[in-house]
Amino acid sequence: MISVFFQYDFLTYALYTGIMVGFLAPVLGVFLVVRRLSLIADALSHITLSGIAFSLLLGRHYTMFAGLNPVYMGSVFAVGGALMIERLRTVYTYYKELAIPIILSAGIGIGVVFISLADGFNTDLFNYLFGSVVAVRESDFHLIGGITIVVTILLVLFYKELFYLSFDEEQAVVSGIPRRFLHFLFIVMVALVIAASMRIVGILLVSSLMTLPVAAAMRLAKGFKQMFIYSVIFGQFSVITGLVSAFHLNLAPGGTIVMINVFILLAVVLLTRKRG
Amino acid sequence: MELLQQLTFLERGIIAGLIIGFICPLLGAFLLVRRITIISEALSHITLTGIAAGVFLSQTTILMGMINPLYTGLIFSLAGSLLVEKLRQIYKHFQELAIPIILSSGVGLGAILISMSGGSYNEWYNYLFGSIVTVTLGDLGFIAGTGIVALIILLAFYKELLSISFDQEFAKTSGMKVTRINFFFSLLIALVISMSMKVVGILLVGAMVTLPVAASIQLAKSFRQVVVLGILFGQMAMIGGIYFSYHLNVATGGMIVVTGVVILILSAGLKRFRKGLA
Repeated sequence: MISVFFQYDFLTYALYTGIMVGFLAPVLGVFLVVRRLSLIADALSHITLSGIAFSLLLGRHYTMFAGLNPVYMGSVFAVGGALMIERLRTVYTYYKELAIPIILSAGIGIGVVFISLADGFNTDLFNYLFGSVVAVRESDFHLIGGITIVVTILLVLFYKELFYLSFDEEQAVVSGIPRRFLHFLFIVMVALVIAASMRIVGILLVSSLMTLPVAAAMRLAKGFKQMFIYSVIFGQFSVITGLVSAFHLNLAPGGTIVMINVFILLAVVLLTRKRG
Repeated sequence: MELLQQLTFLERGIIAGLIIGFICPLLGAFLLVRRITIISEALSHITLTGIAAGVFLSQTTILMGMINPLYTGLIFSLAGSLLVEKLRQIYKHFQELAIPIILSSGVGLGAILISMSGGSYNEWYNYLFGSIVTVTLGDLGFIAGTGIVALIILLAFYKELLSISFDQEFAKTSGMKVTRINFFFSLLIALVISMSMKVVGILLVGAMVTLPVAASIQLAKSFRQVVVLGILFGQMAMIGGIYFSYHLNVATGGMIVVTGVVILILSAGLKRFRKGLA
């Protein structure tokens, strides 16, 4: 089943990228879920769509941008969107939770306008939305590899601070941890991981790879470390089986990956319910 | 009836748009004060699954061939709204996880069904991003019908909904059947989302529910004002969006949302300006 993935270059790239994504997304997802920010991933992934559409539009009019990987513009927009969310939270002091739906819908809306201006309603867009096994190119592989290395280094360097901030924000601030800087850094990491995962899982499904494995792990794990381990195991399992089955059944890999995650989650919920 | 049949495709689209621009902000105001605007995103993504299932079934079985995928969309969004409540009970300490779980499984299953049913990409883009020119007479009937049902529910339970939205505890102690009202509320959300989908598109329904009230709450001084201004902004976004999308040849749903965003920015600016004067 899986051997075919080593016969063709593009499938090998897809598999390796999948493994990297299946590691990164759940790891950041743990912090997201614990900090109760799981919805931010949805908002940022939707605004990534506008970035990609903008890049496609620029590419049609300026040759300079035609060669640029749309993933770059996507991550720029995601970081911008994250800053906008923070800004909106100060505008709506009483309804802070409004910031996310506003950014989410504005992201898709602007994206759609850019796409129709670029005449981009074609197969490519479908791959961006729902992921694709065959769309991963060598340049994507290198870009995603780079993102994986950078994010991993940052996570190792700032693990303690992020951990502290996630569980006791007040205490962390009092003991001199630069909250604003760390929060910004964290959001940038999330934006980068979303941009990296997009090729395989698709924009609309990136956030699920960040939240679903963690939601399942949360019910099993007895500590923070165990949560990481379970989430990464679930993430890897879903990405690899999802990719292989998507290829053989000719389905969108984003869909299969997410549905495997949903089944894992259901199984875990049933299992832990009996125990409880 | 004859009058209805004489409508051009554009007129049908505009009428549908105006109905949606009226009901979406009305519901949005309740979602806003209950702090669950995000639920509209989750349910709209579940509706995608329903539509995909409807299209898939209509291709594979003869019996389902006649049924408008909008109906399967409605059934799925209804089931989704009940599921959200259930999941909130399971994840007691992380209630906000219920929404991402529903949202992602909705799109995930939808993506699989879409790739299984094949079909032209354009048809799917119409469902995802909305299209004003594909509103058929049957769709208009569906939109008007669900709109009327939604309006009846809203008017019949207006007081109860208002009281639950602002203070659920108080509503409970004063003898209101909270679970039943909540059920009707879920029904209402599901109805509004599935009716809006054809014109605004699945991915953008949430915008129509959120953006007008997000703008109106900047300026309004009471709940009634939030509702009235919200409806006004909703209609403006609809009409502006349809007008510009027709002339610039851009996807309708996108342009409606962009108009909504512009209104939001303007009203936020106006609030600042007022504050500056005072």
